[in-house]
Amino acid sequence: MHYVLHYGQIAPYLPYLMGGMAISLALSILSFIGGMVLGLFFAVIRNEGHPVAGRLVRIYVAFFTNTPQLVQIYVIYFGLPDFGILFSPFAAVLIGMTLNAAAYLTEILRAGLSTVHAQELDAAETLGMNRLQTLRHVTLPHLFKVAMPALTNQYILMTLGTSMAAIFGVEELTGRAFNINSTTFRSIEIFTTVAALYVVVTFIATILLALVGRWAFRARVPVL
Amino acid sequence: MAHLDIRGLVARYNNATVLDGIDLSIERGEIVSLIGPSGSGKSTLLRVISGLLPPRAGTVALAGETINYADRRSLRRSRDKLAIVFQQYNLFGNMNVLRNVMVAPVTIQKRDKKTVEAEACALLAKVGLADKLNAYPDELSGGQQQRVAIARALCLKPDILLLDEVTSALDPERVGEVLDTVKMLAADNMTLLIVSHEMGFVREVSHRVAFMADGKIQEMGPPAQIFGTPQQPRTQAFVSRILGH
Repeated sequence: MHYVLHYGQIAPYLPYLMGGMAISLALSILSFIGGMVLGLFFAVIRNEGHPVAGRLVRIYVAFFTNTPQLVQIYVIYFGLPDFGILFSPFAAVLIGMTLNAAAYLTEILRAGLSTVHAQELDAAETLGMNRLQTLRHVTLPHLFKVAMPALTNQYILMTLGTSMAAIFGVEELTGRAFNINSTTFRSIEIFTTVAALYVVVTFIATILLALVGRWAFRARVPVL
Repeated sequence: MAHLDIRGLVARYNNATVLDGIDLSIERGEIVSLIGPSGSGKSTLLRVISGLLPPRAGTVALAGETINYADRRSLRRSRDKLAIVFQQYNLFGNMNVLRNVMVAPVTIQKRDKKTVEAEACALLAKVGLADKLNAYPDELSGGQQQRVAIARALCLKPDILLLDEVTSALDPERVGEVLDTVKMLAADNMTLLIVSHEMGFVREVSHRVAFMADGKIQEMGPPAQIFGTPQQPRTQAFVSRILGH
């Protein structure tokens, strides 16, 4: 066994890999934002204890957290065309990831919502804030603060999960790594480089999420 | 016309009646204190007036205008005139002191940010916290937090201020600083409805004192009467127990 590492051989492919990274990032950011919007909506419904809507949300969460994400995307990409609904590989993965993320984020955000102090809500009410203002100024900043570690973890998992898009032919980071591997056969160099790029992306994402929390909601979360 | 006029107010928590027909009329600039044993309905009365617990019966009128607690616009109008300070301060933990004070006037009353900031700074200076503008609530002592809460309520420019046991959560050393702040408000001629267990303070600042028990005002009169010559046996028992300690 005598293998000599030649990272130089894959250096020309770095711009190509960076392009793939941009697609991975787009998938993770868009599905995270979509999942946050849906998840927040569902979490509020569950927290308000609405009997019918609350139960529907519970069923939704149970379904998406108890089935593999890959199977969910298979259903969207290969199953829905039978009903005349066709999506591009990118759109199918994006929708699948968003719906899946919404289920997990519902649970994360619901747990966070339940820790908002009743006294702060009383104060918001008596100061004259309406529900939206209370959400914006009191609930969300608190939520962001307490749920930030869990949200960051979820986002990192989603970023890493974008690699499954390669299965559907989306040329994101892992997909492009497959392509380079099939022409250079420098598997170790390629996949260790890709792994390093994922580390860089998730590290940057952690910092960005903390900054977003600070900027948008004045949430007091440590950047690192 | 009474500044705050309460007629036949009834409130319940689940099936328990906690306010059982409260009649109370407060004139502009008057300071009325509510005293009584725990569970007598004092804090609940303030919660009902401020709209946190809808009344089952009765009316509350502010300067002649009856508050419709089922109508958010009516409630909103009442909150322009009436503010409450809570026992547990209820400051927003994610905001610094200055923003805690400014958030409602700027975002709800839509007042000019610069003007509000100047007023907030002046109010915080008045309550002795000019050097804590950028501190967060968890960096302050209980007494300091309570003074921020008072400044926050005052920045709304209310006509009436409700104070709900504002010193109960404080250690004895901090009680004085908050009471001094309230005395300052009393000197400013603000209408105050105070729930307090600080009998010395109640006696000193109040124009009238109402003794509550079992969800009713059992007796009301000037401090000299309530603490000196109470008429009702329950008031006598309460006062002698309190003053005996």
